Amino acid sequence: MEGILANVLNGLSWGMLLFLISVGLTTVFGVMGVLNFAHGSLFMLGAYLCMQFVRWLGSFWLGLLLGPPLVAVLAVLIERFLLRPLYGRDLSFQLLLTFGLMLFLDDGVRLVWGAAYHVVNPPEILAGVIPLFSQTYPVYRIFLVILGPLVGVALWAFFTFTRWGKILRAAAMDREMAEIVGVRVPVMFTAVFAFGAWLAALGGALAAPHQSVGPAMGERIIIESFIVVVIGGMGSFPGAFVGALILGLLNSFGTTLLPDVQMALPYILLAFILLTRPRGLFGEEV
Amino acid sequence: MKRKWLPVVFASLLVLLVAGQGYAADKPIKIGFVYIMSGPAATYGQFAKQGAELAIDEINKAGGINGRKVEGLFEDDTGKSDVGIRLIRKLVYENEVDAVMGIDSSGVASAVAPVMKELKTPLIITHAAVPDVTGTLCNRYTFRIDLNINQNVGMASAVAADLKAKTWSTVGPDYSFGHQSWEYFQKYLAKKKPGVIFLPDSEVAFPPPATTDFSAFITKVMNSKADGVVISLWGGNLIDFVRQASDMGFFDGKRDVLMTLGAATEVLTALKDKMPQGIWVGTRYWFQANDSPVNKAFVDAYKQQFDVFPSYNAHGAYAAVKAYAAAAKKAGSVDKEKIVDALEGLSIDLPIGPTIIRAEDHQAISDGTWGQTAADPGMPIRILKPMRHFAGKDITPSVEETGCKMK
Repeated sequence: MEGILANVLNGLSWGMLLFLISVGLTTVFGVMGVLNFAHGSLFMLGAYLCMQFVRWLGSFWLGLLLGPPLVAVLAVLIERFLLRPLYGRDLSFQLLLTFGLMLFLDDGVRLVWGAAYHVVNPPEILAGVIPLFSQTYPVYRIFLVILGPLVGVALWAFFTFTRWGKILRAAAMDREMAEIVGVRVPVMFTAVFAFGAWLAALGGALAAPHQSVGPAMGERIIIESFIVVVIGGMGSFPGAFVGALILGLLNSFGTTLLPDVQMALPYILLAFILLTRPRGLFGEEV
Repeated sequence: MKRKWLPVVFASLLVLLVAGQGYAADKPIKIGFVYIMSGPAATYGQFAKQGAELAIDEINKAGGINGRKVEGLFEDDTGKSDVGIRLIRKLVYENEVDAVMGIDSSGVASAVAPVMKELKTPLIITHAAVPDVTGTLCNRYTFRIDLNINQNVGMASAVAADLKAKTWSTVGPDYSFGHQSWEYFQKYLAKKKPGVIFLPDSEVAFPPPATTDFSAFITKVMNSKADGVVISLWGGNLIDFVRQASDMGFFDGKRDVLMTLGAATEVLTALKDKMPQGIWVGTRYWFQANDSPVNKAFVDAYKQQFDVFPSYNAHGAYAAVKAYAAAAKKAGSVDKEKIVDALEGLSIDLPIGPTIIRAEDHQAISDGTWGQTAADPGMPIRILKPMRHFAGKDITPSVEETGCKMK
């Protein structure tokens, strides 16, 4: 029993972190059709900037507030000057560009902050532990478990009820039609890319207190995020949420119950989904 | 327009010619270094580079090796075997280096060692700990200056034998290093303390190296019957594990915990007071292990130049360069074959202590140190107190045991 509860919490907290990163990835893909390999690097940049603000200002909350918008500003520049010239071209140009950006950002971070590992402490109020049967459980992880669904609901409400959200969905469905009825699609693309980057960086800043901040930390998580997005359905919001939960729980229970194949489980699931529902769990059939 | 450039071109050609001549007259000894310089483990390559550069500076300031300056060439193998082999070939054939040093990953080391026979160039491994390269894969050109898994885990088992724990488990990275550490730990501890129980592989934890969330593995070990855990995670993995395990009550005193690479300075520096006290930790080199003048000079010079305490990887690179210089002096030449002959059985005073490179398998035999983590108000990081020192000959398996057959 004790093991099951701990495993559920382990799986949920990891899943929620995955969700934050995947949701940005899936939004950018859904609206813009851009598969952003550099998404993991933006995640990493979020963690580093949060760390830097914590060092300067001594507050994790300020780091969480100030770091991600800076990454969004960088994303605006990337979209405007690097990505935009490539929209009309073959998809491979985009892939090459975002892959190149990933290498560039990974090395850039190493030049600025060095190659050492860094540690960011959780804020005072979340730093403690609560008893969980015979062991203890960190409050910060429970905070992540609660935060994930909140962000999810906020995003869902934004896309469903606000004017901007509706415009975004409309543009994602039919870009030309949206342009004809007067939506300024280029501006919107910039905004969406920046928004996706902000989400990635937010995930990075939130990850900083529970994993070490180091170069290429984004490369590890981007693979799992891609799996989440494919399982959930490219461009699907609820898909990202459910996919992240499944992957998180698969990770925690797989470790305990099926240690020999735990590493392969996400890929087995991925292959199974691709064979049975090639568009993902929540992807729309064409 | 074009003519304006002519004088500049001529002048630079002249400079090149003159410089080139000076270069030819006093050709430096070239040493190629291959480390992980990018990605999550880049910090190891960085430390190694610093250690190597410090040693090269010291040698050059003292007049070089046999009157010739030493030059280091650094390459990034990204931790991949094929890249490592390609770079070493490039260093030997294109850059015409006199020796190759380095290698962080055990996988790369195992792949590269057999290639050295073909390249006929001495290789001194400074980090990779896989026993095979001075065991079943040993050959005339491959040497290792740092402690290997056998030696480090030998010490771990000696420490474990004196602890209360009866049932042992492990948390190790899911590749050869983690699995071999566990395998040798069981072998040595079973000999030293018959009757201890080891959990089967399905009940221990081998997280993949890309893991950043260890909670599931921590839960698994905490819910097992183990009252002793040997941890062979290293670098960023170990940092993440320790922080997450602390929060989950893993270090509540109910189990004995050993960390085979817990005394690595890069880990202690990142964790600071987040490293629990009273944990038995080991490393390949601990900067406070001895007060010898050689060690003191190394630690002081390193601290002054780089503002951190030397990590074991910095020591490995430093030691390899110093061993090479000593071999060149002994041989009176840097001819590759003569260097190999001189390295065999070489006895040298390194910061880690008096070291002998065993002629039969080319493994360096030095004393090792384990200790319990403790706070020290004068130090920014956890230190080892008390320490346990082990004589090199006691922790090194005999040549027969290593399986090395030099031809």
